[in-house]
Amino acid sequence: MAKILEGIRVFDLTIAAVGPWATTLLGAMGADVIKVEAPGGDRLSHMVPPTIRGNSVLYISANHNKRMIELDLKKEADRAIALKIIEQSDVFVQNMRPGAVERLGLGYEVVAKVNPRMIYVAASAYGRTGPMAGEAGIDPTVQSFCGWCGITGPDHGRGEIYRHLAHLDLTTATTITQAVLQALIARERTGRGQRIEIEMLTAAMALQTTRLAEYFATGEQPAPLGSAAAATAPHQAFECQDQRYIAIGVERDEQWPGFCRALKLDELICDPRFATNRQRVVHRAELASMLAERIKTKPAAWWTIRLNREQVPCGPFLTFEELRNHPQVLANGHIVEIETPHWGSMHVDGLPWKFEGTPAGPIRAGGKPGEHMAEVLAELGIVDDRRAGASK
Amino acid sequence: MSSAGSLDGFRVLDFTQGLCGPFCTMQLGDGGAEVIKVEPPAGDFARRMGPPFIGDESAVFLSLNRNKKSVVIDLESSSGRETAARLAREADVVVEDFGPSAATTLGLDYAQLRAENPKLIYCSITPFGEEGPLRHLPGSELVVQAMAEYTTSLGRIGDPPVRVGADIASLNTGTFAAQAILAALFHRLRSGEGQRVAVSEFGALLHMRGIMWSSLSDPDDWYGFHLDHYIKPPDYGYQTKNGSFYFILRRGNSEDWDRLVMELGMEEALADSRFDDYGRAATSIGRYATEVKPIWEKAFANRTREELVDLVKSIGGDAVPIMEYPELLAHPQVAALEVVAEIDHPTAGRLKTVRPVARLSDTPNSIRLAPPTLGQHTDEILRAAGLAQDG
Repeated sequence: MAKILEGIRVFDLTIAAVGPWATTLLGAMGADVIKVEAPGGDRLSHMVPPTIRGNSVLYISANHNKRMIELDLKKEADRAIALKIIEQSDVFVQNMRPGAVERLGLGYEVVAKVNPRMIYVAASAYGRTGPMAGEAGIDPTVQSFCGWCGITGPDHGRGEIYRHLAHLDLTTATTITQAVLQALIARERTGRGQRIEIEMLTAAMALQTTRLAEYFATGEQPAPLGSAAAATAPHQAFECQDQRYIAIGVERDEQWPGFCRALKLDELICDPRFATNRQRVVHRAELASMLAERIKTKPAAWWTIRLNREQVPCGPFLTFEELRNHPQVLANGHIVEIETPHWGSMHVDGLPWKFEGTPAGPIRAGGKPGEHMAEVLAELGIVDDRRAGASK
Repeated sequence: MSSAGSLDGFRVLDFTQGLCGPFCTMQLGDGGAEVIKVEPPAGDFARRMGPPFIGDESAVFLSLNRNKKSVVIDLESSSGRETAARLAREADVVVEDFGPSAATTLGLDYAQLRAENPKLIYCSITPFGEEGPLRHLPGSELVVQAMAEYTTSLGRIGDPPVRVGADIASLNTGTFAAQAILAALFHRLRSGEGQRVAVSEFGALLHMRGIMWSSLSDPDDWYGFHLDHYIKPPDYGYQTKNGSFYFILRRGNSEDWDRLVMELGMEEALADSRFDDYGRAATSIGRYATEVKPIWEKAFANRTREELVDLVKSIGGDAVPIMEYPELLAHPQVAALEVVAEIDHPTAGRLKTVRPVARLSDTPNSIRLAPPTLGQHTDEILRAAGLAQDG
């Protein structure tokens, strides 16, 4: 069966994490992603620990579904090869610091002249206008800047950084993937390529749109609430008798009576302090302390059974060892184990979407820097005089 | 003169409520699609998510529903279900989050709608995925974060769990749903074929932590930031005289490093091997960052955040203040990028909203319609479809 992006070639000049994850997704949909690295590979991502068989997990994880080539774009001969690949590509993605790609002679104007149908993505931390134009950024610096830490932390405690330092990278990456798909649709209709600009800062703020809306409405900084949601209640973690925590989320008014029945607190169903979400949020603290006391009297398993019976959202706090063998994860391929060419078998993230007509995947590990050089050049009919002897 | 959006002319019939589906369809609307939001007589439950409210509408709802038209249809009545099915005949995309098998009961599943509209793109959103023992269970933002292991990167071991403050399970999944729909539309333009696509919140969050699964599956050593963060204490950045900032030293040379150390009065660092290689392992994700933080903070105690940001930048490092919303929204960079857009709402007045993220030069995203009041477009849509309004 045809892949959804069959026949779409991506010239991937990305570094670190944001750009590479975006093109990994395009590759999962069937695009031919040609990752172009400087000789020796992308220095930043190759150096970051942890490692698997001596190779950075970051490099491996951010470069699935690609073919790896090396070009020294500061040399005219290699730049000429790049332009020949660009002629035969549909999408160009780069996330260098603004100005850097222009210095390599591969800015939008140059690329669009070579290939007017090109969809050209320039992703950066803070964009190319304003007082911070051109500044580099990585996940923790953008987290710090974008207000993210102020809404996350213990209940009314100090805001903290999300220590998995990749979520905003991936959020930006998904925005890139989405914009490329939009532009591919547009190109089918107009015949024209275009330029796409994406800033990590804006992507990070869009991901906080519900929380920023609170601030726009009230003019007050929302406080961290521990595990609790701001706009729905009860929607937080509770400690059970066996000292396990259970996550419970009553997001809809119609879930409230069932929740009360599950806890055998039927008298609360019509209690005017708690009958609607609005009232429960207003009386959040009072409600939470009553519920905490009740939930502490039985083990987590008991509440899980009763809440499931009433179709009230609840769940445990799982770990990787539980997840990688979890029947739900296995049944849906949310985490999968793959064989790689150089690094043995490893667990990777499953695909985030299911296409019934044009299946995506399977996930293929990329390769080492330059591994597919000869194959890619031969396939594209590009003669590389300098390497002709060496690659034989 | 306004340019056409990339999705102009496509019609989306949106049965979703809450956060996830509405964030998906808002992005399709931003691209130019006509989004018809089908609501029950009581309205999308997100309209009641709050306080805060502006007028009768919750701030949450207002942030997720621009560029849509609201049509009230009671799917509990057979005539309502018939009306919905008729609208689906004219749609390019249907998005639903009814839950497994519920769409079939309503007569609105893919098989039934495709019979009348073979080119339809049909997107289903579920909490946990369409297979497996949990497929029939409901989810929530925290439940999905907890089960996907997200809270292990926050808080302190032994303390109560801390969630990610943003609604990431819902919103990131909404983006994946939009991607799946866009990819399917692209395929339809090339092949003429519609199809069904699906996403889940659990699957989306587990996808986004993929680097963790690879790090944990068979690492050479328990070392590196993807593994260390499980055992590290909360990270607040670096405390200064007037607030906190965050920095990373990336392009060290001895001249800059010496100047930084002298300026900060940190001569002790020169003899401390943890600061070797111009402090590269002593900040951010560096191996010694957590243990040497008190040494930095002692030097930062009598300097302002602004001075320190400038100092680090002057030696080629990255540095930013840690900001909360009031400061962020007043920041000239946010203004320069025009991140916040405004639009007039019929009852809530002038609304602020985060603009569409991607800027497409030829087919721009745009904000054309304020979030609708409940049923604001019922007459318009049903009349245009030749359907009498159902009481």
